[in-house]
Amino acid sequence: MLDFLNSQGTVYVSMVLGAVLGLSLYLPLLAGQLSLASPGFYALGGFVAAVMSTKTFDVDGAYPVPLVLVEFVVAAALCGVLAFIVGLAALRLSGIYLALATIAFVEVLRVFSLNLELTGGAVGIFAIPQPFGTQLSYLWLAGPLLIAAALFTWRLEKVRVGRAFAAVREDELAAASMGVDVTRAKITAFVLGGVLAGLAGVIAAHQINTWSHRQASFDASIAYLAFVLIGGSRTFLGPVAGGLFLTYLPEWLREQAKHEFLPTWAAEFLRTGRFIVYGVLLAASCVFFPRGLITPELLDRLKRIGRRRSGSGGQSVRPEPEVAT
Amino acid sequence: MTAAAVEVSGLTRRFGGVTAVDGVSFAVNRGEVFGIIGPNGAGKTTLFNLVTGITPPTSGALFHDGTDITSARPYHVARRGIARTFQNIRLFAELSALENVMIGRHCHTRSGLFSGVFGIGAAAAEERAVRQRGRELLALMGLATKAHVKARNLPYGDQRRLEIARALALDPKVLLLDEPAAGMNPTEKAALSDFLRRLRADFDLTLLIIEHHVPLVMGLCDRIAVLDFGRLIALGDPETVRRDPAVVEAYLGEEG
Repeated sequence: MLDFLNSQGTVYVSMVLGAVLGLSLYLPLLAGQLSLASPGFYALGGFVAAVMSTKTFDVDGAYPVPLVLVEFVVAAALCGVLAFIVGLAALRLSGIYLALATIAFVEVLRVFSLNLELTGGAVGIFAIPQPFGTQLSYLWLAGPLLIAAALFTWRLEKVRVGRAFAAVREDELAAASMGVDVTRAKITAFVLGGVLAGLAGVIAAHQINTWSHRQASFDASIAYLAFVLIGGSRTFLGPVAGGLFLTYLPEWLREQAKHEFLPTWAAEFLRTGRFIVYGVLLAASCVFFPRGLITPELLDRLKRIGRRRSGSGGQSVRPEPEVAT
Repeated sequence: MTAAAVEVSGLTRRFGGVTAVDGVSFAVNRGEVFGIIGPNGAGKTTLFNLVTGITPPTSGALFHDGTDITSARPYHVARRGIARTFQNIRLFAELSALENVMIGRHCHTRSGLFSGVFGIGAAAAEERAVRQRGRELLALMGLATKAHVKARNLPYGDQRRLEIARALALDPKVLLLDEPAAGMNPTEKAALSDFLRRLRADFDLTLLIIEHHVPLVMGLCDRIAVLDFGRLIALGDPETVRRDPAVVEAYLGEEG
């Protein structure tokens, strides 16, 4: 059993990091900002880990976990500052223009890392020391990060700052007229997303052992967007589920390609057609589930079914919220 | 001598070649119900947008309690205690009625990102107080049973009331109402009139009201400003305004 889990360890860790990256896109979306900048901050976080662990701390043997935590702090600070600066400029745009500007930002970071000596140029940085002996052990870092990020997001939506985000998302002008500093709310949401993506990058750099400019790609922007759009963009569980599921999907397809009865072309498609599958799912979900698979309404319905099952007589103390359909 | 609650001085706003508001000056006294009337396109809503900082003026100046707020941002204006409703209702549609009102408390609460998320320090108590105040205001507006209904699922009249509840959550000193009686029947209009008078007394408010329904304005307002093509053509108590020849010509022609 443990052998099996270990052989699948890489996949599980990627799934968890996928969920974290989904959340990193969801956070700016809370304030209505469609940002595709996550891969940029993810790459930056990874480079912080790669550079620090290969150049700053020179450790023999297993890389100590506390040093990874130091990298977390540095990556978070760096991503936060960069997100603040980029946000100040980019958040004057909205909707599709903001999305384009953030894609450009990712590309700028990529070209920088391609040409800087510090980041290993075209080759990147390899032989990044690993704190764990097995892939599965990375869940000790990725798991808590996902749980913390998910709980943080869940709580955020219920309190003052999160309500201000929602107000900005719903109607910027009305939010401003209610005393909400719109620019500040947008930038805060953007910085949160950037920091979270950077933290995911730190873990990923150690986990995959090598890091290069290819991590900051337009493909990644679209993949993370798919996590949110297919998973659901109106509850934090949407991007979490989307990230887990859509990271697992290509691995599962690759497994299926091993069946011998498949013609070569079909097997080849299953192995390499990841983005075609994402594309089809994205288009299909826009048509059939425009708000994603997991919506607040679905959760309400599940809650009600759960309550009925538990046989509490269905008499709720609080008046039931009326649900939009 | 107390300063005027709201004073506009030579306020002008041009949009391209159109002068929407043209050199308007008046001062609204504290506690006054001040009506703004005028034909469609006279610049009434633009005037509200200027006062609340949403549209910056081309020229002229704007004062609140004697402080210059000409270049203040909308959220600064709101924090100073000037709240408003909108002609074409602008609620936070996907949020519940209660959440809409709770957002109105934003500038009277302090909890930051982390203190709020972790519920530490004063944040938890503050959150309870905001919720409590939200429920009180909903009850005041007759929306107590609809706290958890999404704003966009409320009937039209409730949406108008919710907008007022949300504005009151700011603890405003000045409340700007843009066509509060739009879409109401005569009975509701009469009730609104009484309600607004009560509101002024209970909340110690200064009211600025844009309204098309002339009897309501005449009955409710202490003074009325009449705009036509962006210009202030008359200002005074309802009776004076009603008799003003310029007003009769521009706006009340048929009744005169």
